[in-house]
Amino acid sequence: MIAIHRLGDAKRLCAHLLRSRAVYAPQLVDGEARYARIEAAIDLPERALRPLFSPKQAFFAERETLYRFERGRFVTALPEVSAQALFGVAPCDLAAIAYQDRFFAADAHYRRRREATLIVAADCTRACDGGFCHVMQTGPDARPGIADLVLHREDGSWLLVVESEAGAAALHGLDLAGTDADAGEAGAVRARSAARVRAELVDAAPLARGLALARNHAVPDARWDAIGLQCVACTGCTTVCPTCSCFAPRDVPGPDGGGDLHRERVWDSCLLGGFAREASGHHPAPSPGQRVQRFFDHKLAAEYVSPEGISGCVGCGRCDVVCPGSIGMRAVLARVGTP
Amino acid sequence: MTDARSLTPLAATLVDRYDDGEDARHFSFQLHEPGAAAAPAPGQFFMLTVPGHGEAAFTYVKLPDAHGRFDALVRRVGTLTAALFELEQGAVVGVRGPFGRGLPAIDRGRVLIVAGGCGLAPLSPAVEVLRHSLEARALVVYGARSRASQVLSRERAAWRSALPVIEVFDHEPGVPRATPVDALDQAYAALAGAPDHALICGPDVMMHATAAALLARGLPQERLWLSVERRMHCGVGLCGHCYLGAGYVCVQGPTYRYDELLRELGRHPSRPEALTAIHHC
Repeated sequence: MIAIHRLGDAKRLCAHLLRSRAVYAPQLVDGEARYARIEAAIDLPERALRPLFSPKQAFFAERETLYRFERGRFVTALPEVSAQALFGVAPCDLAAIAYQDRFFAADAHYRRRREATLIVAADCTRACDGGFCHVMQTGPDARPGIADLVLHREDGSWLLVVESEAGAAALHGLDLAGTDADAGEAGAVRARSAARVRAELVDAAPLARGLALARNHAVPDARWDAIGLQCVACTGCTTVCPTCSCFAPRDVPGPDGGGDLHRERVWDSCLLGGFAREASGHHPAPSPGQRVQRFFDHKLAAEYVSPEGISGCVGCGRCDVVCPGSIGMRAVLARVGTP
Repeated sequence: MTDARSLTPLAATLVDRYDDGEDARHFSFQLHEPGAAAAPAPGQFFMLTVPGHGEAAFTYVKLPDAHGRFDALVRRVGTLTAALFELEQGAVVGVRGPFGRGLPAIDRGRVLIVAGGCGLAPLSPAVEVLRHSLEARALVVYGARSRASQVLSRERAAWRSALPVIEVFDHEPGVPRATPVDALDQAYAALAGAPDHALICGPDVMMHATAAALLARGLPQERLWLSVERRMHCGVGLCGHCYLGAGYVCVQGPTYRYDELLRELGRHPSRPEALTAIHHC
């Protein structure tokens, strides 16, 4: 942490950022919450919007060109990204960004987008419906050291925590004279708020029991097989998951049909039957039970927890919203945590 | 030199090919810029792009020479390999790599090499090293379905001048059916003792049966290496397709020391399918 200010109005910060970069924020678009580019400054609502899609695709694009094959040559295609900001990122999504930053640390396409992006997180000061960040330890206040700036709402006013040099640089030109806040006091405000939100969230105990078992591969295979029966391989969970990172290659022919093409990568899902099947027909995970086990392992097991203590599941609850088989993460944690 | 993690291939030309076993063909490729790729180790793999038909993983049968020419053995099993078999000499393909962990650099002591089917391909560069070593005594046990399905005929002919090659068959008329495990007595006798190291590659059942037989004869797990195949796409541990245990075969493998492989596979010991590790070429 570099500094803390009593910002007053978050809209003021948004307007300032809009002068130097494109700004994306959770917005209601056709009645649906999603990250969208804003043209005019906005305030953040007391109860944050919960976009069904996290800002994952700002860095790991759902579909993007890796290279072009033109006249017998392979030419790398990196995205052109100008300065941008994500404004109002929820703590769970923020933890997911940290998790993906580590995973994609050497991926040129991801880095190109990520390095052009300023992240302004916002502590959740009201409980959301169905999230379990308190179980996964990703919220309700933003984990330190990930965002550039963190906003905290208190009684209609905003605290601004400056967490990175890039965050400090982005504030140049914004009049913050005389707004310095006491770090200890601000920390106490955030801690009190987080405790209040935790108390409003779903009961952590059964989920924590499930998590403890899944962490250590102590869930019986038969349990996963039963859960697998409810998986229809729709890939909804992996699509909305803010940490899912699997992709598949796809060749797109050029318009002239002369052999030129470009190679894309597109999001893929480990829950699809063909995901791991080899050309020989051999399949290392032929049953749905094995595939859901792999999915939940990857999200929960100890060997996938990042050095910062972030799991592949950040407790956002999106998979529970989309799963037609009622085997989203929260449902599964509760189920395996119940003897 | 390009970034080893690059997702963009280097251009190469298909310069030669010949049939080498049932539905299998030996290909030679020539990189357009020989210095642009890192030098692979035996047992590593590369990603081959057939423009318009996708990309798949293959192993080096012959490592690139000073001019960037290298060989691969390919069995026709899917759409990409079918397209590759149709390519004319001179066609441009894409090559990324080398990727993964290669075989251990063993050039001394008694070394037992056991291959099944196309599993001979990734072991081939290692045999090349061993047959030129004055301090190694190597022996190859090669199991195949039949004589017609055997691969790497020219390589095996060359090896025979320097080391014993024991060949066994599943279904060869007039020849008693035998697996590589059945040939171990003969192999130990020809090596004049127990091997110091063993390298294995082949279908899952064969690899694990051979490993079990070698362990029973006293070879420690730490001296036993398997080459494992999974569905590799990106080659750099990102796309997720080749997961095995907590890692990815394209990075942690395809070569595994047996104790390390068991540790990865052992996370779900009650899954009978978990103990599968098939190699195809």
